[in-house]
Amino acid sequence: MELKAPLAFAPALRQLPVLLAGFVIALPVAIVVAAGIAEGGGAAWTHIRDTLLLRYLTGTLAVLTLTGALCLLMAVPAAWLVTMFRFPGRGLFEWLLVLPLAAPGYVLAYAWSDLAGVGGPLQSALREATGWSARDYWFPDISSLPGLCFVLACTLYPYVYLTARAAFISQSVCTMEAARSLGAGPGRTFWSVALPAARPAIAAGLALALMEAAADYGAAEFLGVPTLTFGIVRAWKSFGEPAAGARLALVLLALILTFVIVERQVRGRAGTQQSSIRWRRIARAELPRPAAIGAASLCAGLFTLAFALPVGRLVWRSLEAGTHSTRIWEALGNSILLASAGAALAFVLALIIALSIRKKGPIATFARIAASSGYAIPGAVLALGALAVITALPAGLSGFTAVAALAWVYAVRFTAAGTEPMVAALARAPASIGQAAQSLGATPFRRTFCVDLPVAMSGAAAAALVLFVEALKELPATLMLRPFNWDTLAVRAYAYASDERLASAALPSLLITMAGLLPVILLSRQISRARPGAAP
Amino acid sequence: MSAPLEAIAVSRRYASRAIVDDVTLSLVPGEITALLGGSGAGKSTLLRLLAGLEPVDAGEVRLAGRVLSAPGRTVPPEQRRIGLIFQDFALFPHLTAARNVGFGLKHLPRKQAAATTDRWLSLLGLSGRAGAYPHELSGGEQQRVAIARALAPEPAAILMDEPFSGLDPALSGSVREAALSAVRAAGIPALMVTHDPAEALESADRIAILSQGRLLQSGSAEEVYRRPASLAAAGALGAVNVFRRASLPPSWQAAFSATGDLAGFRPEGVHLDAASPARFSVTSRRLTGPLVRLTLEGHGLKVNALAAPGAAPHAGAETGVSLDPALTFTFASGET
Repeated sequence: MELKAPLAFAPALRQLPVLLAGFVIALPVAIVVAAGIAEGGGAAWTHIRDTLLLRYLTGTLAVLTLTGALCLLMAVPAAWLVTMFRFPGRGLFEWLLVLPLAAPGYVLAYAWSDLAGVGGPLQSALREATGWSARDYWFPDISSLPGLCFVLACTLYPYVYLTARAAFISQSVCTMEAARSLGAGPGRTFWSVALPAARPAIAAGLALALMEAAADYGAAEFLGVPTLTFGIVRAWKSFGEPAAGARLALVLLALILTFVIVERQVRGRAGTQQSSIRWRRIARAELPRPAAIGAASLCAGLFTLAFALPVGRLVWRSLEAGTHSTRIWEALGNSILLASAGAALAFVLALIIALSIRKKGPIATFARIAASSGYAIPGAVLALGALAVITALPAGLSGFTAVAALAWVYAVRFTAAGTEPMVAALARAPASIGQAAQSLGATPFRRTFCVDLPVAMSGAAAAALVLFVEALKELPATLMLRPFNWDTLAVRAYAYASDERLASAALPSLLITMAGLLPVILLSRQISRARPGAAP
Repeated sequence: MSAPLEAIAVSRRYASRAIVDDVTLSLVPGEITALLGGSGAGKSTLLRLLAGLEPVDAGEVRLAGRVLSAPGRTVPPEQRRIGLIFQDFALFPHLTAARNVGFGLKHLPRKQAAATTDRWLSLLGLSGRAGAYPHELSGGEQQRVAIARALAPEPAAILMDEPFSGLDPALSGSVREAALSAVRAAGIPALMVTHDPAEALESADRIAILSQGRLLQSGSAEEVYRRPASLAAAGALGAVNVFRRASLPPSWQAAFSATGDLAGFRPEGVHLDAASPARFSVTSRRLTGPLVRLTLEGHGLKVNALAAPGAAPHAGAETGVSLDPALTFTFASGET
């Protein structure tokens, strides 16, 4: 019998898709960095540097500090209570507390400024109850830096909550029992055992939340707080100076890089990997009555502030306003079209990168790093990069190129979100299945398509949904790159809110939030199931 | 100075199923008691009741006569001074070996705590590893840190949940010896949960056998092995041949002292004895390590025996067989 050599790709050819994927993802950032360094920034830059830069920078730093602190305060105690104790409504709160992730910051900003404004229901109720007039009392102003931080923390604390809860669930219960047998009460057990062990997970969640906070444009603009991202969009919008924006983007990127480094440092040398090989279901302690009521009200209060109240207000406003505006449905169609295009591109890129993960080598590593750093870069910055490419093209920013550019930016930003679940699916499958395929005579090509691909696909449905919704929520890049007079839900909500037509902004905001709920619920269920030791 | 830790008629139910059912057990200072049983026998639950990690539904847990657990009243684990050692060691991953050991010494002045920590580390041969984090330690070292951590605060008793089953078998022998001698030296009541009869017999002074939540028997290792209270207790500690007494060859009857219509004897109590009138043929012969396992057939019986390889006949041979009276027991057929 004649032995035929297996049909092998030339190694370099096999790496080509990954190289291409990495290049597509890294390009916009590279362009922005190059533009920021090389181009002078023009007259606008001198103006921005002398009058606004300091304000943007301190604004961003203050927003990050306060938002981070609020996120920790909201998320960590709630995660601890829900994981370790029994109290009325615990099972419900466990996943309800994740829901605020569904509403993007700008939607919460609209809802809260409607709620807490002078004419809003909160102040009206206060006046009615006390008989005061509007000048007789002080009421917190949402259109302020603390207001922005509150709104951002409301939507971003679930990142910390999820990672903290997962860390608390996955830590060996035995470790805590050991602490108690050594004379540590519940308080000391929390502070000196559970919290330090969860610290890296909490830091990772916080880093994610802060990256989102740094990328926020809609809420900061609406509430009038100058931040770097706000400045980038403004440099492009008001000054027509993308180069000046690129300069600001450099500052923002340096800031984000600092976080990533700090987060790595926090992990330190101390191990957090549990040596546990055996899991016991967490025996949740019954809380005494007053403490149980306290725990339930804390969780209920958090959920009300971050979700029930603002989203309830949006529902109310939408019902009141009705759907007379047909522009909403047009925008919905555009949103779905754009998000689908972006998700599809991101999906393909994520798949290419996920499948390359078992191959070691500089190209696969480059693509992976590109994808995960793309996730950290604000949409406004990526849009600047895409703009630079498009304006260099002969066609300029017209209908089709604009849509393609947007899909590109979405893909750059969210590919990492798609890579994660696929890599996880591949990691769950034993490495030996690939070897089994090889021992059965499968060529590398057949192995990729008949073994690895189907395995990765089990994580793909979740990935596709996440990608779609993230793209749907994205505001600043959409605002900068969309074709003329071509609105998405996010842009429509933004436009109405900017015109102080909050009633009209309610419906598109609500639709975005509804779409956002789907992956959030999926995520919440997955995480609670994936952990050994988690009670169902 | 040290007092016994006692469980008095304790029960624990989950959804009306008794996991621990009316167990009375006294742990004597200075002795290691092995709590032996299969999976789901309730061993770990009994340990958790003693430690105060779970409340009792009936009965009491007492230390030096003081009630620690009673229905509706549980002294929390941090106030019991009972040391715990877990199968997975449960070391605090963010603390060094020294700080793990020092964790329970918060009540001591800093200097004294450091001195105590050093003493325990060197006692268990860990002096060079004080600054290492748990993930930097080998399995055996982690185990020794866990033991030092549990013993350093001078607990009133120590409970070990499958303490050696997480270790490499080649390692567990030497680690076990070092660990248990430290526990014995502490002179406090000690309980070791295990599912391995060999480990129980080898390491413990006393053995308590638990099955389906009930205590089958407790006593010195020797006593429980040689005079099991029931067939189940006999089986829990090792292989046993069981036949109706009436079916045994007449020459074996004298080996059984007590009455009872079921006869049991251990494989190592079967002696190859050319002079015996009870003739059996060897149908299989397998090496099990130091000894050879033989299957003997004859008199309508199929008997398992253990013999030294030098003395064991080959398969197909015929031999006379007698029983060692010290390794036989009888039961009434009503009990199992």
